[in-house]
Amino acid sequence: MADTTHLRRLYAGADFHAEQHIHPEPTSFVSRYVFSMDHKVIAKQFLWYGLAFLALGGTMAMMIRWQIAHPGTAFPVLGELLWPESGGVMPPQAYASFFTMHGTLMIFFAITPILIGAFGNLLIPLMIGARDMAFPTLNMLSFWTNVLAGTAMIVSFFVPMGAAAGGWQSYPTLSTLAGQPGAGQTLWIAGVFLTGSASIMGAVNYITTVVRLRAPGMGYFQMPLSVWGIWLTAILNALFVPVLAAGVLLLFLDRTFGSHFFLAGAAVTKGGGDPILYQHLFWIFGHPEVYILILPAWGIVSDLLSFFSRKPAFGYKATAISMSVITFLSMVVYGHHMFVVGMSPLLSQGFMTLTMLISIPSAVFFLNWLGTMWRGAIRFATPMLFSVGVVFVFGLGGLTGLHLGAISSDIYLHDSYFVVGHFHLTMAASVLLGAFAAIYFWFPKMFGKMMNETLGKWHFWLTIVPITVVFCGMLVVGYGGMQRRLYNTDAYAFLQHLHPVNVWVTRAALFLGASQFLFVVNFLSSLVAGKKASENPWEVGTLEWTVPSPPPHHNFDEIPLVVNGPHEFSHPEVKGKDWLAQNEPIRSETEPAARAAAGS
Amino acid sequence: MTAVAAARFPSTEESRRTSFVGMVMALASWSMMFGGLFFAYAILRLKAGTWPPDGVAPLPRLLPLANTLVLLFSSYVLHRGVRKEADARPGALLGALKATLALGSVFLVLQLAVWVPLWRSGFRIDSGIYGSIFYGLTVFHALHVLAGLAALLVLVPGARSGRLRSGAQSRVRVSAMFWHFVDAVWVVMFVAVYLL
Amino acid sequence: MHNWPFSWLPPADVSQDGWRADGLFWYTTTLGAIAFTLVVLALAWSAWKYRAGPGARALYTHGTDRKSFAVTGVLAALVFVTIDMNLVRISERDIKEATYEWPTAPDTIRVEVMPQQWAWNFRYAGPDGVFNTADDVVTFNELRVPAGHPVMLNLKAKDVIHSFYLPNFRLKQDANPGTVTRSWFKALKTGDFEIACSQMCGWAHYKMKGDLIVLNDADFSRWMKEAEGDAKRRYDPGDKEQMWGWEWLQ
Repeated sequence: MADTTHLRRLYAGADFHAEQHIHPEPTSFVSRYVFSMDHKVIAKQFLWYGLAFLALGGTMAMMIRWQIAHPGTAFPVLGELLWPESGGVMPPQAYASFFTMHGTLMIFFAITPILIGAFGNLLIPLMIGARDMAFPTLNMLSFWTNVLAGTAMIVSFFVPMGAAAGGWQSYPTLSTLAGQPGAGQTLWIAGVFLTGSASIMGAVNYITTVVRLRAPGMGYFQMPLSVWGIWLTAILNALFVPVLAAGVLLLFLDRTFGSHFFLAGAAVTKGGGDPILYQHLFWIFGHPEVYILILPAWGIVSDLLSFFSRKPAFGYKATAISMSVITFLSMVVYGHHMFVVGMSPLLSQGFMTLTMLISIPSAVFFLNWLGTMWRGAIRFATPMLFSVGVVFVFGLGGLTGLHLGAISSDIYLHDSYFVVGHFHLTMAASVLLGAFAAIYFWFPKMFGKMMNETLGKWHFWLTIVPITVVFCGMLVVGYGGMQRRLYNTDAYAFLQHLHPVNVWVTRAALFLGASQFLFVVNFLSSLVAGKKASENPWEVGTLEWTVPSPPPHHNFDEIPLVVNGPHEFSHPEVKGKDWLAQNEPIRSETEPAARAAAGS
Repeated sequence: MTAVAAARFPSTEESRRTSFVGMVMALASWSMMFGGLFFAYAILRLKAGTWPPDGVAPLPRLLPLANTLVLLFSSYVLHRGVRKEADARPGALLGALKATLALGSVFLVLQLAVWVPLWRSGFRIDSGIYGSIFYGLTVFHALHVLAGLAALLVLVPGARSGRLRSGAQSRVRVSAMFWHFVDAVWVVMFVAVYLL
Repeated sequence: MHNWPFSWLPPADVSQDGWRADGLFWYTTTLGAIAFTLVVLALAWSAWKYRAGPGARALYTHGTDRKSFAVTGVLAALVFVTIDMNLVRISERDIKEATYEWPTAPDTIRVEVMPQQWAWNFRYAGPDGVFNTADDVVTFNELRVPAGHPVMLNLKAKDVIHSFYLPNFRLKQDANPGTVTRSWFKALKTGDFEIACSQMCGWAHYKMKGDLIVLNDADFSRWMKEAEGDAKRRYDPGDKEQMWGWEWLQ
């Protein structure tokens, strides 16, 4: 049991942190809903924004899958609209833009705004007992900078020669002016630079807020794991997005001013640069980026498993430390994306060994997830279903990382659909299911209404099954030998026998896409006509549930004093209910006896 | 029963510390970006073997050295004017700001004095990797000098009116931190690009 | 043959070292499958046995007692030792024995590979044994090699990054513009196999197919002699583009 003696002494009337003031409540429509500085409003802005791009990126994925399974046939409705000159059939150049932009939009404009922008903003101040972020104006700027970035990306579809089409990583020399002559690639760079800046602004805000604005009694190890996840993500964002910025800046200089950072090959006359340099810079960012994308979901799932098992998070401190160790290790493993580039074997081996080390902290927190559920009293509400779903798909996806971390299996699997299956399981499926878990769980707090449980449960089952089929199917065709980014497999005899698998993957993908309408209907109808939510419908103890749903502008009438950890469920001394709020002391006469009874 | 905490307004010390932490993180970010650029320089230079690459004249050193001294002096001046003790001396902050703005402008002018003749002589950003690195790094840095000067310029009206008096105020301290950072980056850049 | 469930397997491996990739893949898959099955069983067990019900009360523990630490620690260590360490061991063995163990035997066939948008160029040194000279044998989209002899490759892309992929050899190696990379393989069977590109290289990446033709010694020698004769005739000193080769990187 967490030792809260020191906190109780605080409560007894000794020293307190100072109160926080709050920016005045906005009055005009513009200051309330457009240029709001309120983290709760900005969270909603990011949520709508991210969901819109999720829909766009998802539709693009459906169209990509359609082309793979039914090459030469038009995608219903949209095909005719977009490519009338080819009878609605997606041309290969468009296909290349589509997979490029699908990746770009999903990573930077769907996952990042939803998990980090929306839930980071919503949860951090409320869960640590603060009135708002440390820098509310910066927060507002972060959202609008992102909107500028998204605009650049959307505009890039409509310029001559269309959007960037060199893969979302945009490796030179394909992404140089010679390889991608249109403005699309340059707009991509601008969009990435802007969204990167927005991420850094947000990261600085989140880190400072957690460091400085925690309520009295909220030590680092009393914070919910959701906050840990988002905070660690912010640290990685702050440190590594700038490296991407450096890389794309140099690419921009190559494209616009004729510099030679990445130019090489037959076309270069005046002493070439090094395209592989870009890959180093990109993956120094890129590997931490994948942890940036998953850490919030890990944190959220760690909390939700505890909440719905009515049991403290198993090994809370070990989980927080494991996540921190992984955060650190993620900085030194990036070379496993470059095993076939021609790096020195010694360097490759070093990266392989470091990569394998990540298994240890990963196993620890994963086992802690299982330990949390074990001997719980599990309530299978929709958020719990999605959380267990994350455990499932992340377990599967994480294990496929082993195939890719070992050099001699990676050489064959590199740039194949096995990689696509792996990162979609770990990054897309896990994060998406985690996002749904978070939305179903915090929707009442954000909007003051409950979502529909029945629709939610159907949404879960009709999502988890096809999502597993889709990405396991990719693992299969990947091992079968199919490379990524193929418009069709007609050229290769060795791929023909995999076509039926691809057809099934497409069918499952289309089914998956259709199932999301259950969510859309649930979300929108609940906003309008959902049952009114009480202050704490899920009966959990974190601080956001001690204020009304939705919270007032200033969050807390009084800054709470934290006396418990975030997962005090089923405490033997607490009668009549199985949870304790973080600012709710246990009324106990004999504390030493109670501690003995808790038995740890 | 929920616990209740006392209500007192935040001390200036607390919000100072918050701004400081924020700025430290922001500078850590910026350092990583410049770090990425220096990494690029290191990789390209290691790959190139001979440096400067064949056929390229070595860079001038006198003006850039003078520039380094100009920036270092400007940091010293700013630091003196932004200290807490300066609280007692009216006009100290304004004087420091003006001096730093002047010295910073001198830096930019001297940079132009280095770039323009080189550019005219045919050594440009598209003159292979040496030109790419030279202009890419130094111009990007100069943009940050410009940003730093803008941040300091914005403080001048407040300093003039007496509303801003010293580094005790977050806005002043944070802007000064950024200026010192830009200066430190230049020192590294000077050594890496001109001396090594 | 392509009947379920075997129809999803990769193409036949005709190389000396391709078994390493397949072997490690199945080794990892087996151990991973065992681990994952245990996880799913644990999830299913908890979901069934520990669901909330009348009178059900969760066990109050933070998992910080010594037994919990021990169990978690042992399991995590077990995963690392049985899976990760073995994968590293096997990979390191493969690297040392094959992947970067460039062939030095005198019968090694040397080929320079220059992929371009969207085709494959191959160059043999010709009778003088030196690359980028008048007697080089240059082929387009067809790589002919003899079975049973190591083939050493130097790769350098003409324009953008491509990747030389031999599915039947489980081999992939990126070719970058401006720098030379290396790879090698040995075919154990004759036959016609496919060369594919496995790095996005532009809109026609999907149809950048080449042919690997593995011949027996006699056929290969006969072809080479004929090709060398052709090369002499085809050499055009005025065509600079033709001399795309480079000094061999050992």
